Amino acid sequence: MSHTQDKSAALRQGVLIFVYLAALTALEYFVAVTFKAVSILVIVAMIKAALVMYYYMHIYKLNAESEDDEHSYEYKTGTNRLGLWLFLLSDSFVFAGLMTTRINLLGLTRPPLNQLLGLAVTAVLLLSSFFMNRGETAMAHGDKKSFMNNTLVTFVLGLGFLLGVVLVEWRLAAEEGLIASFGNPAAGPMGAVFYMMTGMHALHVFTGLIFLFVVWNNARKDLYSAEKHWGVEAATVYWHFVDLVWIFFYPALYLIGRLV
Amino acid sequence: MRHFVIVGILVIVMAILTYVGLDVAGVATQMHPIQASLQSVSIDWMWNWEIIAIAFLFALIIVPMAYSMIVFRRKKGDTSEGEHFEGNTPLEIVWTVLPLFAVLVLGYMGAYSLGEIRRVDPNAITIKVKAQQFAWTFEYPEYGIVSNELHLPVDQQVVLKMESSDVIHSFWVPEFRVKQDVVPGRVTEYRITPILVGAYKVRCAELCGASHAYMENGVIVDTKADYDAWIAEQQAIAAANQTPEGRGKLLTVKNGCVGCHSVDGTKMTGPTWFGLFGSTVELADGTSVLADEAFISESILDPKAGEVAGFSPTTMPPYTLTEAEIANIIAYIKTLK
Amino acid sequence: MKRFFSTALARGLAWQLIGTLVGAGLVTGLRALMGLSITDKFFFTEPAWVLGAFFGVLFFLAGNGSVTDWFKWARGMDTPEHHADHYSGWEKYLNVSLDHKVIGIQYTVTALALISIGGLFALIFRTELAQSQLQFLTVDMKLFGQNGPQLYNTLMSLHGMIMIVSILLGVAGIMNYVVPLMLGAQDMAFPRLNAFSFWIAVPAAVLLLMSLVLGGFGTGWTGYPPLSARAPVGVQMFFLGVISAGWSSILGALNVIATVIRMRAKGMTAFRMPIFVWAAVATSIIALTATQLIGLSFQLVMFQRLFGMGFFDPAKGGNPVLFQHLFWFYSHPAVYVFILPGLGVISELLPVFARKPLFGYRWIAMSSMGIALVGFLVWAHHMFTSGMNEYLRVPFMYSTLLVAIPTGVKFFSWVATIWKGKLTYPTPMLFVLGGIVVFLLGGLTGPPNAAISVDLHLHDTYFIVGHFHDTIFGGFVFPFFAALYYWFPKATGRRMNETLGKLHFWLMTPSFFVLTFGMMQIGLLGMRRRIVDYDPALGFDSTHLVLTIAGYLIGLSVLIFIYNFFNSIKNGEKAEGNVWNSRSPEWQVPSPMPVHNYDQPFEVVGEPYDYGLPGSKYVEFSSPAKSRHK
Repeated sequence: MSHTQDKSAALRQGVLIFVYLAALTALEYFVAVTFKAVSILVIVAMIKAALVMYYYMHIYKLNAESEDDEHSYEYKTGTNRLGLWLFLLSDSFVFAGLMTTRINLLGLTRPPLNQLLGLAVTAVLLLSSFFMNRGETAMAHGDKKSFMNNTLVTFVLGLGFLLGVVLVEWRLAAEEGLIASFGNPAAGPMGAVFYMMTGMHALHVFTGLIFLFVVWNNARKDLYSAEKHWGVEAATVYWHFVDLVWIFFYPALYLIGRLV
Repeated sequence: MRHFVIVGILVIVMAILTYVGLDVAGVATQMHPIQASLQSVSIDWMWNWEIIAIAFLFALIIVPMAYSMIVFRRKKGDTSEGEHFEGNTPLEIVWTVLPLFAVLVLGYMGAYSLGEIRRVDPNAITIKVKAQQFAWTFEYPEYGIVSNELHLPVDQQVVLKMESSDVIHSFWVPEFRVKQDVVPGRVTEYRITPILVGAYKVRCAELCGASHAYMENGVIVDTKADYDAWIAEQQAIAAANQTPEGRGKLLTVKNGCVGCHSVDGTKMTGPTWFGLFGSTVELADGTSVLADEAFISESILDPKAGEVAGFSPTTMPPYTLTEAEIANIIAYIKTLK
Repeated sequence: MKRFFSTALARGLAWQLIGTLVGAGLVTGLRALMGLSITDKFFFTEPAWVLGAFFGVLFFLAGNGSVTDWFKWARGMDTPEHHADHYSGWEKYLNVSLDHKVIGIQYTVTALALISIGGLFALIFRTELAQSQLQFLTVDMKLFGQNGPQLYNTLMSLHGMIMIVSILLGVAGIMNYVVPLMLGAQDMAFPRLNAFSFWIAVPAAVLLLMSLVLGGFGTGWTGYPPLSARAPVGVQMFFLGVISAGWSSILGALNVIATVIRMRAKGMTAFRMPIFVWAAVATSIIALTATQLIGLSFQLVMFQRLFGMGFFDPAKGGNPVLFQHLFWFYSHPAVYVFILPGLGVISELLPVFARKPLFGYRWIAMSSMGIALVGFLVWAHHMFTSGMNEYLRVPFMYSTLLVAIPTGVKFFSWVATIWKGKLTYPTPMLFVLGGIVVFLLGGLTGPPNAAISVDLHLHDTYFIVGHFHDTIFGGFVFPFFAALYYWFPKATGRRMNETLGKLHFWLMTPSFFVLTFGMMQIGLLGMRRRIVDYDPALGFDSTHLVLTIAGYLIGLSVLIFIYNFFNSIKNGEKAEGNVWNSRSPEWQVPSPMPVHNYDQPFEVVGEPYDYGLPGSKYVEFSSPAKSRHK
């Protein structure tokens, strides 16, 4: 679709989706602090996930007809795209397993975390996805300079998220008593679940950042064009996937359940 | 058509032969260890139906297969191909729907049998079971008795409330059929109605460590009269044992020490206590030490410190007992000569 | 010898050693700085061993060259689409190759090596079990920091996991070799990923064996906490080995699915694919997704040990039963990963040797998918006695029984396939038929375990041991041997010796029946699983002796196979044509298979199994001028 759409329309669509996502996140937060309906939070997260998967990750491209020649760049990109999505499917089972662990061990309780910080890092990650989308749209229309700028912004925001979680949030959580000290999280399953979920997600953010750097660097070397930029697309989809996971982890850790 | 008739007859013959054969081998109408609980009757009933289904299905596949292998084998010099047919949709539907129906029936029977064995008697006796590496301990809260042999009255439902202090164990008396894991951090329930007087054994069925194979204790199903007598006897012993040795003995049962340390000189997972006190013990590091109060006390609190030659690496967990309790245990060990 | 040390395998192993030392050294150095203890019973501390093992795997892969191209891509460099193999002969197989045929053989030979090791372990503890009481695995003996019973537990656990890994590799080997050939593809969709998937399994196997010498683990292959949380450091090697082997399986499965979806020859619609391809896809769907959960469950125990995170520690509010749910979510479907390709081999080979169409092709194809999908919903039947929520038991009984339906469809269709055929019995066919009978026994002994009340008796006994050895031998081992005998000429241009093959079959099959019948019988009588010793009063001694002898005979038969396999590579009877007179595309070109598979592309023009239909053809090779089409 992004190929057929003209550039400004694609960019407008990106903005619109971002506004939706931001509004839905605000709604989540509002629901969580007022009437605490878990079902609504689940539904909102699903809607957000669907928006990201369709408009940012372009899942419909899996279905795209490609020409017959198996040796063409386009056909190979189709195969690569399928491979990437299969990988993401596999990976999502890890996160689903962590989610199951969280539900089983914590049920309708949640760890004592800094709400403001949680909302802030969530906003940062969401914003990074927005810029990533702009970057990809630019590349799809051959605008290398805009791609590089937007990717750089994405990278900085992603790094901000990572540092926010690992350096600030982890320390604050430790002060809240989620762990007694490093190597001795005596405070029970809450700390274990929190550090495992955010840690596994942070690992994916970290690999995503490496991926972003690689495509940014390769763009600098002029390796991508409007027609041939599979690397960019892969990095983009992977980055949005990281966001997608957080769409579920954020309410699971910060919003659902009561404090104990 | 001739083929189908022959195969049909052979299937029936084979099914009957299979069932009879399994029954002769002792695994059809009843699983082999004798039925010693009400629950085992229901389980064996279910098993018997499973065997009937198995015998029939086995014959249903194996007979036409063997028949084809013999009758339709390629004769010498024949170079033709087999008869060409690709499938038969009604037949496929039949052998999808009929098994589905069988599955539903079997599932219903399974659920029914499960309901039978879980039938609750409100007058069931409660016994507390403690599992730990590598022994079982049984506590009768009503009578204040602790024993390492489980005594049960016949024809009376008992409910075991089971707890584990270390890893997962599983309570299994083959003659009772039913099995239940004992999971640390929770109490699991085991309901059983013994129907046959006799001596059995509870064996741990979930791998629990090096001496898992030896984690077994006696289970005695008594007549009501014998059971009452046993309870009275145990209560008398408990009353008489208000001495340090008596309390020490009780502690060694309660803490499961005797699961690994014999009191009669038999070699088990841990060194025997028979004649231990006052003897010279060779340690794993090559030195020798006199088994006095200090050594035994240290070995209980920190088993690794007193690793005895031939028993390393030690699998014994450290026990936190009070000084008085340890003194009682040592007093008991002193009596074992 | 010098040539061996320059191979990718030798380089990888050397780098794994270096990586282990670097990782362990790093942690040890840090601990020294932090003032923590730096040595333990097995020289390094546990965190040092864990990071060392992890680095070992990374260094292996970086050092042997299986990730070089990816690094080049990341740096913006171009690589050729396909590297020609620089080596020939045995060296080709010890170096990194992107050719799916070479990788398939690498997988298969590694699987055979692991089967031998796992089998050896089985024979060791089978010998101990021949009599009650302890004979040589005594409490007084000591090896690798373990006494007899502890060593027994480790060997028994490793037998399980090494066999599982070898099966995964065997499955991957057959799929890798055969699937692209059947589809008419030049290679797998992602050749580099394919090489990576194979090579990561090698350090994984090394880690599994390392667990034996680092104190063992003795938890069973299931590694249930809290027992695994208390086991020696060997258990960490076991976890990391399984996680690495898991990635091999996941990425291999991804490759198979992508290949089947994207690389089929012109005219090969879904229902005109060879039936084995259906089985490969069904198996790959499970391996791709569910495998992550065993990795995660083991990882959580790893972290519980390393950082004290109490996921499964009741003292810290954790839940030991949660582990079992996560673990079995993979480990039950895993058995379908093992058997579906084997059942695919049976379906693939039966028509060839019966000279008749496969009966109910679509139903068999759909039954594979059905088994795979239902397989996701049955895991808790391993937990009927675990103390999980009561209300879960009956639904899981029903879902488990449902597996019988697609499985039944396969059996009935197989019988109908050989009905009125013209059967011949070369070695591959013997193994196919043997596989059907053995798998039938495995299948029929399943429903009693599904019925909860009966399972309460059968759970954790030798009945289960006999049952699953039946399913795995029938579903994997027999068909695997059938596949090796069948496709051996395709890979080498020579046949394996028929006499030795038949000897292998007639030695293995009866021994195996005795083995599992005996196991099931004493299981019913009260023989528990995973015990080093049994009460002589139970009267199992004579049965156990028979089981041990049967075990040795199976071992002997596999030795005969291995001799036959390696001997036939050089000395086998030449067989370069369509040995089995098959319709499948790979047999329409001369053996051994050309390097780039088909010189001319083919088009599917008929049904795959129309044996006996005059004038019909499955594939037609186009003239070189025509371009390749999908």
